Amino acid sequence: IGVGARVRPPPRLPERLAVCRAEAAAYGRCVQASTAPGGRLMKDLCAQEFEALRSCFAAAGKKTPRGGL
Amino acid sequence: MCLQVALPQEMLRLRGLSHRWWRPSALGIPAKNLGLRKVASGVSPPGSPSRRALNIFDRDLKRKQKNWAARQPEPMKFDYLKEEVGSRIADRVYDIARNFSLALDVGCGRGYIAQHLNKETIGKFFQVDIAENALKNALEMEIPTVSVLADEEFLPFRENTFNLVVSSLSLHWVNDLPRALEQIHYVLKPDGVFIGAMFGGDTLYELRCSLQLAETEREGGFSPHVSPFTAVNDLGHLLGRAGFNTLTVDTDEIQVNYPGMFELMEDLQGMGESNCAWNRKALLHRDTMLAAAAVYGEMYGNEDGSVPATYQIYYMIGWKYHDSQARPAERGSATVSFGELGKISNLMSQEKKSQ
Repeated sequence: IGVGARVRPPPRLPERLAVCRAEAAAYGRCVQASTAPGGRLMKDLCAQEFEALRSCFAAAGKKTPRGGL
Repeated sequence: MCLQVALPQEMLRLRGLSHRWWRPSALGIPAKNLGLRKVASGVSPPGSPSRRALNIFDRDLKRKQKNWAARQPEPMKFDYLKEEVGSRIADRVYDIARNFSLALDVGCGRGYIAQHLNKETIGKFFQVDIAENALKNALEMEIPTVSVLADEEFLPFRENTFNLVVSSLSLHWVNDLPRALEQIHYVLKPDGVFIGAMFGGDTLYELRCSLQLAETEREGGFSPHVSPFTAVNDLGHLLGRAGFNTLTVDTDEIQVNYPGMFELMEDLQGMGESNCAWNRKALLHRDTMLAAAAVYGEMYGNEDGSVPATYQIYYMIGWKYHDSQARPAERGSATVSFGELGKISNLMSQEKKSQ
């Protein structure tokens, strides 16, 4: 099975994703909507939603102290 | 929406016919020589038939990944899938009402099948794997075993050696599956049986789709991150072509819930199941990972926030031919029509009366 060669996420990635659940869901919905009939997925289609997710993710990385929430 | 990656066996069918099958040079196995023995190297020599025929997976890398996984402080944390499938293979061995004096496990890992079997059923177990760390950290078992470090693609055993060959979740990384199956057939004794399990084409489809969608949206294109798998209808043909008789192939799905995509990927790495295809992308972009985790959670996530991952498992059973095995009756020898199957009980009682 397998995924790309170097899969070693920093330990706090899951916690940070949990903090940004709303942003992640918004981005996910945007991508999923493009898979519906008539939709077309292309580069940066959901750039706005992703930017929100990424900035939340970055902020969550800074705020949370070592060892998670 | 999500594309299936080209299947290696389909490519092979086009190309594989032109070359001769390679036979292992029989090294023999001195029965008293127990313990770890280095017999064959995991790397195919350059210019060997397999390199010309088909070379999808980096076997050297796979060996490193498996060695790394087996070296981890708590390898049992990631053993759940191989444990489960190993026990299901063991069940299938027990289904056969017979004892096996000599058995072989191809790609044994830490011995996931042998630990579920007992010494009354199996006399002696030969365990073959490409990762020496897995052999060294083998699980406890009551059957006397011999560990052999060798490549699944190059079995160092004589013809007609084993009564039973098993293999669990290892053959999906083999470059030349037809040849691997042929070698298994070769080392089996006549009337010996092969019982195997490998990952099927629907394995990890959620992960495959999430990565493809995320990569398309972030980077404008995608490359394969999940390895190609065999299709189930190819498996029957492959077994048949390798010389096996009385085939049984069935599929099963195991669904595992993970807290999120990151944990799933960590576990795959812990199992030594990271991708080792030559055409893999060296690095998954950090943004793409984040995007894929979000898509995975939204498209497949459970209500409690966890995400499911599907593992499709093919189980296969094949027998090496022997005169004593039951054969289909000759054509035209039937005395009753299929149309009368509904009245079978009447026919049976009539037959009893006439006897």
